[in-house]
Amino acid sequence: MKLRILLADDHEIVRRGLCSLLQKREGWEVCGEASDGREAVEMAKKLKPDVIIVDIGMPSLNGLDTTRQLMQYDPQFKVIVLTITDSDQVIREALDAGARGFVLKSDAARDLVSAVEALQSRRMFFTPRVNDLVLAGFLDKGHVVARNEAPNLPTLTVREREITQLLAEGKSSKEVATLLNLSTKTVETHRSNIMRKLSLHSIRDLVVYAIKNNIIQIQMPAQIHRAPETTVA
Amino acid sequence: MAVRILLVDDHPIVRQGLRTLLQGRGDWEVVGEASDGVEAVEKVDSLQPDVVVLDVTMPRMNGLEACRLIQQKHKNAGPEVLFVTQHDSPQMMREALDAGARGYVVKSNAARDLLEAVESVSQHRVFTALARSPQASC
Repeated sequence: MKLRILLADDHEIVRRGLCSLLQKREGWEVCGEASDGREAVEMAKKLKPDVIIVDIGMPSLNGLDTTRQLMQYDPQFKVIVLTITDSDQVIREALDAGARGFVLKSDAARDLVSAVEALQSRRMFFTPRVNDLVLAGFLDKGHVVARNEAPNLPTLTVREREITQLLAEGKSSKEVATLLNLSTKTVETHRSNIMRKLSLHSIRDLVVYAIKNNIIQIQMPAQIHRAPETTVA
Repeated sequence: MAVRILLVDDHPIVRQGLRTLLQGRGDWEVVGEASDGVEAVEKVDSLQPDVVVLDVTMPRMNGLEACRLIQQKHKNAGPEVLFVTQHDSPQMMREALDAGARGYVVKSNAARDLLEAVESVSQHRVFTALARSPQASC
């Protein structure tokens, strides 16, 4: 029987690369492709894939919340998170969300096949770099201490996180309501609860919170790396 | 028309995706790949491609710097540069064209725009398309 894989990344070019990489393996098939987290959750419910590969920085529903929703629906889902960021906070959030694999996008061509194989064999997979970070966390502080040192953030429900992302992306309450099949009034209530829980006073504050907590990601301007011998006068 | 293409992006998986798309044109050939601007400049010298598909944000030397260097070294005899980038911004597009690029495509729309863009720039025509713009302009 074939191993069925669902891919979720908002860039078709990345999905093409991932497909090309994974389908080289005999017995593996990409059974579906989603371009955002919401689509990924819906497709996973229908297709019941063996492994789900989720990009962290997707619009509408980010990869961490996608993973949370997937695990809430079926804790047997096996999720690999693909990320460009390997900060301690992102690693911890991915693990807390229920991801069993964590692969840096820059290393995907090298590590993704191994990650899928690991999950297929009911093991977890971290890239060597992430392994080092996790191990260093245990050795330096101990897991419990490290977790206690995490920012003491108020807990948002899955629905509230979802709405936080959509509002931070600039959608109105009405647009959010349409997207989530809720009434505008319900969204307004969630919005008030979110603002109260987080002690925020404006959408600007909400955007800053969403960026700081990896709910949305922003494009950084290109960094100028000038090698001395290549400086243009 | 045969077109020799150099792919430059720091993510191998993106280069693989670009390759897959370009395979749709049997008369085009990907002659090499580079993972940063320094390597791109070296490979332009050694491989002499017709078109360089170039990312903006890369380690060691970014795409804008690499583009300027390629233009400076090769003047009118060099390859055409087509940026494929995540930066969906008119300012970044202006910087890219000022650096000497002939084309600019946003990564989220690369699957839609890439073949047409390579076709255009290989014939020395400008191709720019931001994701937010309704359609490509040639």
